[in-house]
Amino acid sequence: MFTLQSVELRYGGTVALDGLDLDIKSGEQVCLIGPSGAGKSSLLGLLNGRTAATSGHVSVEGTDLAKLSGKELQKLRSRIAWVPQDLGLVSSLRVHQNVACGRVAEKGFWGLLRSLLGMRASEKAVIHELLKRVGIEEKIFQRADHLSGGQQQRVAIARALYQQPSAILADEPVSAVDPERARDLVALLSTLAKEEGVTLVMSLHDLTLARQFFDRVIGLRDGRVVFDGRADDAGVRDLYRLGGEAMPDPSVVS
Amino acid sequence: MRRRWFLLGGIALFVLGLWVLKAHPRELVPSEGGRQLASDFFGAALRPALDYEDRAIRSVGEPFATKVAKAAWLTVKYAVVAMSLALILGIFGGVLGSRAWWTRGSLFLTSLRIGVRLLATALRSVHELIWAILFLAAVGSSPFAAMLAMALPYGGTLAKVFSELLDEADQGAAQVMQAGGGRGFAAFLGTAVGALPDLLTYAMYRLECAVRSSAVLGFVGVPTLGYEIKVSFEDGHYHEIWTFVFVLLLIVLFFEGWGGRIRRMLVQGVVPKVNLGKKSTLAELWQARGKSWFLRLTLLSLVTLIAVGWLLEDSWGATLSYEQRMANLSRFWSELVPYPVRESGDWGDTWGWFMGLMREEGLVALWRTFHLGTAAALLAGAVALLGLVLSARTLATGSPREVRVDGGRLRSLLGKGVRVSAVLGRSAPEYLLAFLLLQIFGPTMWALIFALAIHNSGILSRLGSEVIDNNRSGAATVMIASGGNRSATLLGALLPTGFNRMVLFLFYRWETCIREATILGMLGVGSLGFLISEARVSFFYDELLLWIIMGSLLVFIGDIVSDLVRLRLKK
Repeated sequence: MFTLQSVELRYGGTVALDGLDLDIKSGEQVCLIGPSGAGKSSLLGLLNGRTAATSGHVSVEGTDLAKLSGKELQKLRSRIAWVPQDLGLVSSLRVHQNVACGRVAEKGFWGLLRSLLGMRASEKAVIHELLKRVGIEEKIFQRADHLSGGQQQRVAIARALYQQPSAILADEPVSAVDPERARDLVALLSTLAKEEGVTLVMSLHDLTLARQFFDRVIGLRDGRVVFDGRADDAGVRDLYRLGGEAMPDPSVVS
Repeated sequence: MRRRWFLLGGIALFVLGLWVLKAHPRELVPSEGGRQLASDFFGAALRPALDYEDRAIRSVGEPFATKVAKAAWLTVKYAVVAMSLALILGIFGGVLGSRAWWTRGSLFLTSLRIGVRLLATALRSVHELIWAILFLAAVGSSPFAAMLAMALPYGGTLAKVFSELLDEADQGAAQVMQAGGGRGFAAFLGTAVGALPDLLTYAMYRLECAVRSSAVLGFVGVPTLGYEIKVSFEDGHYHEIWTFVFVLLLIVLFFEGWGGRIRRMLVQGVVPKVNLGKKSTLAELWQARGKSWFLRLTLLSLVTLIAVGWLLEDSWGATLSYEQRMANLSRFWSELVPYPVRESGDWGDTWGWFMGLMREEGLVALWRTFHLGTAAALLAGAVALLGLVLSARTLATGSPREVRVDGGRLRSLLGKGVRVSAVLGRSAPEYLLAFLLLQIFGPTMWALIFALAIHNSGILSRLGSEVIDNNRSGAATVMIASGGNRSATLLGALLPTGFNRMVLFLFYRWETCIREATILGMLGVGSLGFLISEARVSFFYDELLLWIIMGSLLVFIGDIVSDLVRLRLKK
C-alpha cells in the first residue's frame, strides 16, 4: 500500500524524517510509536501527500506521489481517510452532517451542500447503520459539540469509514481520553479496519495499546526508524529503550 | 511600563485634542438659553406626544400614530432591504477576500484577495450619509439611492469582517476534507459552516446598526424617523421628538435583543428534550432531535421582511423621470471636474486648486476631524473603564466566580443604572445625539465629542464587561474572596490580564469614531463634515468630491493603523 524509499523531510534547517525506508502492505495494521517530535505526524503527512518529501520517494499503491498532478493526488486522497488528533469535526453541525463530510471528494461542493441542508433519507439510513457499528447511533441528530470527547472520536471514526477508504491514517486519535476509553476506541478502530480490509496506520503514545492491538509496531526517534517488527518480548525491550522517559509504562517496567 | 506610557499618551492626546478643537471647559456650561432649552427638551421626555402638538394639524392630517408607524416602518424597511443587498456583497467579498478556501495560493489569488479587501475598505471608508448625499446629488431623491447608500458601506464592512472571521475560524474540518480529496470550495464548506454562527451574529449586529443608519438618513431627507425628529425640532415640538426617539430606541433594542438570542441559540444549539435509546428507529430519532422554533421563525420573519420591504415600494426608481435623472447625473458628472479645469481645460490646474483648498481649510479640517474622533474614543474608553466597577457582573455580584460580594442595594441599583445607560447610549445614533446636544451646548465641539463618547462608551462598556466576566484568572477570585474591594480587584487582578483585549476594543472603536467624525461636522461645526455640507449646499461638486476623498483617506488610514495595532496586540 505505502512504500517509502530513502525519504528525507526537512522543515527549514530541522530534519523531521531522515532516510526512511518502509513498506506497509495492504490491509496491514501498523502502529507508529515514539516520543514527541520523533516524526510520527510528519510520516503520516507524507502518506497522503499532505506534505511532500524533501528527497526520496513516497509511493501509494505503486504510484509515486511526486509524479501526480493536483487532480490525481485528490483522487488518490479520496481513498485515504485521515483522523487527526483534534478530530476536525464541525462543532455546530449534527453528527450525520459531520459523517457526510467524509465523502466530500465524491460529492463535490453542491453535493455536500445538499447533504448539509437536507440529507436524503437513504443517506441518513446508511449513516445510521454506520453509527451503529461505532456504537452511537442514538446520537445521529445531535450536535457534535453536545457529545462527550469519546463520542466525538467515534464520530470521527464513522466519518473516516463513510469515506470508504482503502487506508486510514490516525494521528494520536486517543491522546485526549482516559486509558479505558482509549483502549475501547483503538479496539474499535482496529476491529472495523480488519472487517473492512482497510490498511490502518495509527500513531500512539501508549505502549500497552500498541502491544495489545498491533502486530507491527514501528518505533521512531529523531526522524529515524529504530524498531520495526512484532511487539514480542524482544521487541518490547527495544521499545522501552526507545521510549525513555517520554513513554512511561508501568506494565513494561514490571 | 508599556501600559503606563499608553495611559499617559492617551491623556496627552486627549488634552492636545481639546486644544486643537478649541473645546474650552467653560463651554461645558450651557448659556441661559441653552439651559432653558435643555430643561424644556428633557422635561418633554417625561411626556412623549401621543398626538400632534400643533392642534391645527390634528383634524387635517393623518393620525399621529399612523405617522409614527409609517416612519418606523420606513426606518426598518430601508435597513432590512439595504442589508439584504449588503449581505450579498458581504458574502461574495468575504469569501473572495479570505484565504480559507485556497488549498494552494497563487499570485492571482493573492492579488484577488488584496484587491477585494482594499475595495471593501474603500466602500466602508465613505460614511453612508455621504454616500446618500452623493447619490441624491447625482440622481435626485429616490428610495433606491437611499437604500444603496447604506448597502455599499455595509457591504464593504460585512465583506471585511466576514473574510476576517473565515480566516480566523477553525480550519480543522476543512483540512480533514482536503486530506480526503475534497477540492478547494467543497472543503471550504467545513470552515464556512463552522464559522456560520459568528457570521450570522455579526450580520444581525449590522442589521441593528442599519436601523440606526436608516434613521440618520432622515437628516438628509429620507423619510425615516430621523427626518421626523429633525422636522419636529425645527417646529419646536419637543414632545413629538421624544415619541420618535423612544420608538427608534425600542426598535434598536428589539433588534439587539433578537440578535443576542439568535447568538445564544446558535452557539449553544438545541438539546433534544427526550433522550432516546439505542433501540429507537431513525424516524423516532429524527422526531426527537433538538429543533428551535425560534430560529425557524427568525428565518421566516427575516425572509418575509426582506420580500415585503422590496415589494412594498412602488417607486424604487425615483420621483423624477428617467430623463431628469440622466440630466442630473450628467450635470453632476461634469461638475465633478475641478473648477479651474472646467474653465481652462487644462488638468495641470488641478494641483494648484487642490493645494489652495487644502491650505485654506482642508488640512485644518482633517486635523480637527482626527482629533475629534480620537478625543471621543479616549473619553469613551475612560468612561467605560470607570463604569466597569459597577457594570461588570463579576465585580457587582461576584456570581461568575461563586464568591459572594456584598454589594448592598444602592450599589446594585447603581450597577443596573450604568448598564441601562450603556444600553441606551449604544442604541442612540451618534448623529442624532450630536444634533440634540448641539441645541443645548450651542456650536461647540464638546457636543460632538460627547455624542461620539456616549454612544461608544455604551459599546465599550459592554465589551469591557465581557472581558472582565469571561476572565477566569484565579488571582481575581482570591482577591474577591479575601475581601478586596472592587477597584482593587479591577486594578490589581482583572485589568492587567484583560488590558490588551480592552486596548484592542478601544482601537476598534477609534476607527469607527474617526469614520463618524467625518460626518458630524455636517451639523455645522468646523471639521471635514462641515466642508462637505458647505460644498453640497453651494453645489460645488468638485469640492464635495475632494472632501469626501479626503475623509475616506483619513478613515482608510485609521482602518489600517487600527488593523496593524490590533494584529500586534493579538500576538
